[in-house]
Formats: sequence, structure tokens, C-alpha cells
Amino acid sequence: MLSTFTGIEIGKRGLITTTVGLDTVGHNLTNASTEGYSRQRVELQAAEPLTIPGLTRPVTPGQVGEGVEVERIARVRDQILEGRIVAQNNNQGYWEQKDKYLQMVEQVYNEPTDQSVRTLMDKFWDGWQQLSLYPEDIAARQTVLKRGQTLLDGIKAQYHSLDQIRTMVDTEIQVGVSQVNGLTRQIAKLNEEIAKSQAAGDNPNDLLDKRDLLVEKLSNYINITVSGKDPAEFNIHTAGFQLVQGRVALPFKLAPDQNNEGFSKVVWADTNETVHFKGGKIAAFFDLRDKDVRGEIQNLDNMTVNFVDLVNGIHRKGYGLNGQTGANFFVERPGVLNAQGNFDQSGNGTFDHTYLFRMTGTNALDAQAQVGLRGTITLPGASGSVSVEYYPTDTVHDILARVNNSGAEVVAQMDGDGHLSMKAATSANTDNPDFVIRHVEDSGQFLVGYAGILRASGAQGAYDWAHANAVTSLRGDGGAAVPAPAAASRTGTPQVQPAVDYQVAPLLHPSGWMAINEKIVQEPAAIAAGLGKDGRAAEPGDGSAALAIAHLRNQPVMVGQIATFDDYFANSVANIGLKGEQASQALNTQKLVMQNLRNLRESISGVNVDEELAQMIKFQHGYDAAARFVTTVDKMLDTIINRMGV
Amino acid sequence: MERISTNMMNDDMQYQLRNREAMLNDMQNKIASQRRILSPRDDPAAAANSTRYQSYLARLSRYANNIQYAMDKHQTAEGYMRETVDIMQRIRELAVQGANGTYTKSDLQSMGQEVNQLLGELVKVGNSRSPDGTTIFAGLLTRNEPFREVMGNVPGAEGQVITNVQYVGDIGHNKTDISDVATANVNFPGNRVFWAEQQQIIPSVNATGYVVQHDSTIYLDNVPVDLKAGDNVYAIMQKINDSAAAVKASLDPVSNAMVLQSTTPHQIWLEDGPNSSTLKDLGVANATNGNPPRNVATDARVYGGSLFDMVIRLRDAMYSGNTLDVGGSALRGIDDGLHNLLGNLGRLGAESERLDLTLKRTEAEIPDVTGQNSHLVDLDMTKAITDLRMLEYTHQAALQTAARILPPTLLDFMR
Repeated sequence: MLSTFTGIEIGKRGLITTTVGLDTVGHNLTNASTEGYSRQRVELQAAEPLTIPGLTRPVTPGQVGEGVEVERIARVRDQILEGRIVAQNNNQGYWEQKDKYLQMVEQVYNEPTDQSVRTLMDKFWDGWQQLSLYPEDIAARQTVLKRGQTLLDGIKAQYHSLDQIRTMVDTEIQVGVSQVNGLTRQIAKLNEEIAKSQAAGDNPNDLLDKRDLLVEKLSNYINITVSGKDPAEFNIHTAGFQLVQGRVALPFKLAPDQNNEGFSKVVWADTNETVHFKGGKIAAFFDLRDKDVRGEIQNLDNMTVNFVDLVNGIHRKGYGLNGQTGANFFVERPGVLNAQGNFDQSGNGTFDHTYLFRMTGTNALDAQAQVGLRGTITLPGASGSVSVEYYPTDTVHDILARVNNSGAEVVAQMDGDGHLSMKAATSANTDNPDFVIRHVEDSGQFLVGYAGILRASGAQGAYDWAHANAVTSLRGDGGAAVPAPAAASRTGTPQVQPAVDYQVAPLLHPSGWMAINEKIVQEPAAIAAGLGKDGRAAEPGDGSAALAIAHLRNQPVMVGQIATFDDYFANSVANIGLKGEQASQALNTQKLVMQNLRNLRESISGVNVDEELAQMIKFQHGYDAAARFVTTVDKMLDTIINRMGV
Repeated sequence: MERISTNMMNDDMQYQLRNREAMLNDMQNKIASQRRILSPRDDPAAAANSTRYQSYLARLSRYANNIQYAMDKHQTAEGYMRETVDIMQRIRELAVQGANGTYTKSDLQSMGQEVNQLLGELVKVGNSRSPDGTTIFAGLLTRNEPFREVMGNVPGAEGQVITNVQYVGDIGHNKTDISDVATANVNFPGNRVFWAEQQQIIPSVNATGYVVQHDSTIYLDNVPVDLKAGDNVYAIMQKINDSAAAVKASLDPVSNAMVLQSTTPHQIWLEDGPNSSTLKDLGVANATNGNPPRNVATDARVYGGSLFDMVIRLRDAMYSGNTLDVGGSALRGIDDGLHNLLGNLGRLGAESERLDLTLKRTEAEIPDVTGQNSHLVDLDMTKAITDLRMLEYTHQAALQTAARILPPTLLDFMR
């Protein structure tokens, strides 16, 4: 037997359910533009019917429906798609930043225009050409001087712009890391609230939306994976480590890196272990700071240091109008190293390393002559050392080409007089200083007796930078051992004077710290135009030194692995251009991918106003119907109570 | 896409409009700057090549400049050399006239007077300067006058006259680049231009027993000749004859001395290298090893003189009234000088022609390279403008559709 008032109860349930439906429609409509919001749906179900089978079951035909009730309010969201968005988003973050900063680097180059460092250098060579025509002229010297200064200013400006970009990127890393820490902290806190709410049997839809949004933002900074394997605990991993585990977030910390010019690296706050990100904005910042922009600065340094060394090499041999010779045209300011390149790397007050940039052999060689020697040259490489074999049938040229293609961080080149020069290049590893020859060893006689660089072959005769006064292993006068002289210099180092011509390494970025020799600025007549002959000063009409310097621009001078200065400029433009092109193309692709994914998500989770309004009408009608039903039951009851006339 | 959320249309529209605006902006920048490549990423390969072209252009205009400079120098030198030829021809006329034998001694002396005047003029021409104030025929000593007059008394002359003209310039060549691979000389040492005869140096030292003590270098006309320890005089002569210097060495059959003779008319320029004493030991150079050309050993006999020597010889013959000499050795010397002078003029002309051709080629190359560079970096205006119009058109269409689609919802029809 059913209760008389069952109908009222059914009607009430209908009214409540449709009201919840209408409220949800309102919630959806008002949140239509909320970032990260996913639409919610009221899922209805028929209320438990009467009656449950059992012994006490009344003898009526059953079951009788008991109306409607809200089963749950669900958010419409595809968690798999969400995973894909998180996985792709770090790429967009990565390329966005790369594109932005590479664009800045490209602007620094100012190519291909007539306001670039290249054009300044063209003008500099042109100045020497002019001086070669008027070697007796002070005005032509002033031109060379001014153009040299303009060129250095241009190089310096380029260096400082690149350095500024690097510092900006470093700041971005600092900001990014603190933002990542903030995001993980917020996610962990949300995890706690969500867990509590779910434990109570609720659907914390809006909290879940909020967390998804934070995860998406986080995935823009670093590459993360979200694991939903354990429904009770929400985990985020990055670089193989747990970043968020339920309500615990592990923060990152910044630590200054001594070997990387004091720029900061990211470490785990608890273990101090370095983190290497593979995606996201922060990985882009690291790539930019330690690879792209650093590479550009290294290239510029490399060009500058070689340029300066070559111009100085000829200028020192030449004679000025005032008969002076031996002066460098460019100097590093401030010059720090002592004359033997001894350097205190550990900072404990004693010299422990030797920093040499270039060593030039004592013997003049013929590039096409067969050396007739066999051996192995050992040079430092990007990681570990590089071995270069040579055989009796090789010509000098063959051996040099092999050295230069070996990937060693030392290049070999013949100078104008046929002497063999070994020059340090930039180093790939930030732990090693740029432009320092770290090791030169020859098991045979090529670098020893033939080229006249090393004193002895084999490991004992090797030049190695890791101790002071390493120049003693370079060939001295006549190859005789240099006796330790009684008179020591002020610093306590023995006076060593090898006959090998060498150049100490620059300590700072050469492109930022080169200047024209103050002596020359004071007295432009000291600018050399002629080479003279046999140690006699050049005659006023002799423009041979100026011409030799102007010729440097066309000669294969081996700026690192690159042959000429023209090659260097063309190469650096192509290089940065290709990087920029790659970044902008990858960014466009990534944007499209993300746009598609986001559209897909919007298609599933986004609010459609029409749809919601239709739902609203539906629920409104439902409410009307339920209300009418209650009225009908009410009328029924009225009939029973008032009209039956009992 | 089965279900379109209200935001989607808006998002998509924004995305597309942003893209289109970026393209419009890019195109506008390109048109405004007239360049196809605004930054290297627009076409890395072309940008890289363009830097080469631009540098090459800068170089080409420098070469054109250098060639022009060299041609100016050549022209100046040619002018003075022609003047020299004119003077020499007048001197030759006088010599032929004087050799006639019908003139009295005083006639000859007045001819000598005129030759003396012309000699002064010749020295002045030799010491002439180009418009920039440098001397033309002094080698690298461009501030000095290359020819020094030595005054003295000559029988038959009134007062002091020039008795000798010394060359005090040097033989260095200043070069200038006229292309990436070629250079041209821009100066003309006077001891070649103003020379008349082959020079011969005959030392008085018997060279047969001489052996070079250690590896060393001697310089003849600035050309290095490398000698090895143990070389005897035959080896030395062989090396000298094989070298690029226009000097021939031979052994005097009588005195066994090593004789040096120039193979073109010029002054032989002797120099021992830093650790060499060979030329001194062979009695060619003097012991003090002073600067050439004044370092020829005093006891060596030197034959073959300059143009000035020839003119002085003629003048002296005229002053002394020696008709035979005037028509004989003096006239021959004048002819030799004139011959050498004309030869040098011819070489200079050939060199000028080479410069002229190189200049023409360089000047033709400049527009070519500019054109090639322009192909790489300059904008195709027609295409750019058409593309811009097309973009504008589609942009407008997109905006209009946006305005139409976005507003209506079911809300507009509900009451």
C-alpha cells in the first residue's frame, strides 16, 4: 500500500533536482570565460523505487518509481587529452622563449646591412689599404686609428649586447624557478583540499579545474609528466624525479656556478643535486644562456682574439714613421697575466697554471714538404683528449688539415713566414677556460725537431697547462735545456726565455676588453706601415706592413675551424639565421598543435551558451512540470480531504 | 569538431587575426625598408651570401680606388719620363751636331754650356715630386730627393758645375692591391729609369779558394740568395745566376775574381745578409757594409753608368772640345740612355694598359655584384604589393565574418 503523500515527495524531489540543474546552468553560464573552467553537468537518476524485494514487501505490483534525484555533478573533461596538452605545452614554452631571444641576438648582428661589425671591419682593412698607398702620411694613420677604434667599439657593443641578453636570460631563470616553486606549492595545497573533499564523497570540480590549470601553467615552464595511477595521490614528475607528491612539493633552489662565470644553476633544495631540464621555458633559458648566446660570444671572442693576434703579429714586425717597432696595435685592457702566462687558478696565492693562447715554432716549414716522420700528436678535445696520427708520406699541409678537423680545441696554422702556430680555440665545456692551450704532446718529432715547438717528444716532453712555468717545455734557444738562473724575478718565478714565440691567453672576454695601444693613440706616427729589411727601419715610402695587414682579410687565418674573416662573418650570420628560422618555424608548428589541442579541449569542456540556454529552458520546463504535479497531487488531496464529505 | 563551445569561435578568430596581422606587419616592414631579408632568419643562406657580396663590393671599390691611384702615379711618372726623353733628344741633337767636326772649340764649349743646363734640368726632373709631395723616382725614400748633385770644377767650364750625380734613393717597390690576387707597383726607382748601361763590378780578389763558412744569405737587388756552408765560388755563381735577380755572375778568366754584371740596365744593389760576409770576402762589397749603393768595394772596378754619367761625359767632352769623344763614346752612351728610357716608358705603358683593363673589369664587376646582392636581399616590389593587397583583402573578409558570426546566441531570441 503506497502512502497518500508519495506524490508530494516525488514532486518535491523534481523541484529540488531541477533547481540544482538550473543552478549548474547558471554556474556554467557565468563561468563561460573563466580560464581553465570545464562545463559541469548534473547527472540525474531515478530515485530508489518501491519496493525492495523482501519478506516485508507489500503485495502490490511493483516497482513504483519514487521520482528523480541528482546522482552527481560531473565536470566534462578528457583527462587523456589533458595529458597530451601538458606534454606538448613545454615545447611551446621552449620555442616561444628561444624565438624571442634569438630574435634579439639577430638584431645585435644587424646583418645584412651596412651598419654591422663586418662593415666596420671592412672599413678597417680599407684603412690599411689607404695607408699602404700613403705610408708617409699621418692622415692615413689617423684613418687607421679611428677605424680601428670604431671597429673595437662595434665589437664591444656587440659583446655587451650579447652579454646583456645573457644576463636577461639569467634573470628569467631566477624568476622562472621561483614561479615554478610557487606553482608546485599551490598544486600541493590544492591536492590536500581535493583529497579532503573526495574523502567526503564530493566532486571538487572547481578545485580540479584549478589544479589542471596550474599543471598546464607549470608545463609551460618545465617538462613534466602527470601520473594519475594512484587515484588517491596526484603526482608530478620532472627529469625523472618526483616534483609533487600529493600534498608535498619539492622546491628548487638557485646556486651560483663558479665554472660558468657565476651564472646560477638550478639544484634540488633538499639534495643540492643539479637539475637538467629538457623542455619548457626554463630549458630554453638554459640553452640560450649556456649554448646559443654563449656560443655567439665565444665566436665573437674567437674572431677578436685571432684578429688582434694576427694584426699585432704583423704590426710588431713593422716600423712606424718615427722608426719605432715591436709595438702592439691592440692590447687587452686590463692585461692580467704575467709574461710567461702563469696564472693562479685556485686563488691560493701561488701560480698553478699556465695560460697560453698561441705558440709558434722556431723553424720555417714548407707546407707541401713531406715530413718523413711518424708519430701521434695529442691535443685537448671537448671531452678528453684527441689524438692525431701522422705518417712519413704526409705533407705539413696534410697534418695541419688533420689537426684542424680532429675536433681538438687547438688549431694549427702556418704564419706568413712558414712557422707553425698552434692556437687555442674556444672550449665546449664551461669548466675549461676559452683560448687556453691545455695540452700539446707529440710522440714523434713533428712538433719537436721539425716544427720546433716542443723541447722533447713523448709524455715527458709534453706541454701541459696544469702547472706554472709550463713554457719551459717549449723549445728554447738551440734546443738546449734552460738552466734555472740565479736571478729570479720579483714574483719568485725563474726567468724562462724560450725561443718559441708565444702569446699569453686573454683572461676576460677579448671582445669586451680590447683597446688600441695607448702609445699608438698618443702618437699615431708609431703605426707601422713598412716592414723594413733585416732589422733596418722601414723607409717612409714603404707600405708593405700596411698591405700585409690588409691582406689578412683574404688569407686563411683559421679563426677556430673557420678559414677566413669573410667566412667567419658569413658563417655567423647563417648560423644565427638558421637558429632563428628553426625557432620561428618550430614555434609556429607548436602553436598550431596547441591551438588544435586546446580547441579539442574546448570542444569537450568549453561552455556553449546556446547549449546552456537550451538546458535552462529544459530545466525550467522540468521545474514547471514538477510544480504542476505537486499542484495536481494537492488537488487530489483537496478532493479527499474537503470534498469526500466523510 | 562536433561540438563548438562559445569561446572557440572567438579563440579561433583571435588566433587567425593575430597571424594575419603579423603577416601584414611583416609585409609592411619589408615594403617600407625595400628589403626581402629583415633579419637573417628570413633566409639564412641568402643573408650569409649577402654579407660576402657586401664585403666584396667594399673591396672592389677599394681596388678601383687603388688602381686609380696607381694609374695617377703612372701618369705622373710617364709625364716626367717623356720630359726626360725630350731633354735627352735635344742633348742627342747637340751631340750629333757637335760630332760634326766643323765647330770650333768655343762653339763646342757653348754647346757644352747648353748640355750643362739640360743636365741640371734632367736632375730636376729626376727629383720631381708628385702632387702629394712625395718624390717619384726615389724608391721607398719618398721624402728624399733621389739624385744628389756633386759640384766641382771641370776644365773649360765657368765656375762649379755638376761633376757627378749620385743615386740616394733605394730600390724598394711599394705595391698596391688591384684585385684579391694581383698587385701593382706604384713607384719607380730612379736607378733603373735613369740608367744607361749595364753595370759591371769586377773585384780584385781571387775567388777560387773561397768557401762559405756558414749558412747565410746575400741580397742582390733585394733578391735573397741563400748560401750553404761549404759552397765554393762556382756554387755561389750558380745560385746567383739561378736567382730572380737581374744579375749575372761569372769568373774573370784572368784575375779569377767573381764578376757581377747586370742583365738589364740598372744599378746593382749589393747587400750581405745579417750573418754573411761573402760579398765582402769576395771583394765585391766594402768592409764597412754601408747602405747600398755606396758599399761597392773601393778596389773593385765598376763600369756602366747612369743617364747623368752619360750626359756629364758628353758635356765634359764638349767642354774640352774633344769632337771624337762627342761623336763616339759619349753619343753611344746617350743612345743607350735614351734606349733604356724608351724601354722603361714602353713597360710603363704596358703596365698602365693592364691597370686600365683591370679598372674596366672592376668597374664592370661592381654593378654585377650589386645586382647579385640585390637578387638576394632586395624585395620584388610587384609581388610584395600584390601580396599585401591580397592580405588586406582577406583580413577585411575575416573581420567582417567575425562581426557577423560572433554576436547571435539563443539569448537574442529569448524573452
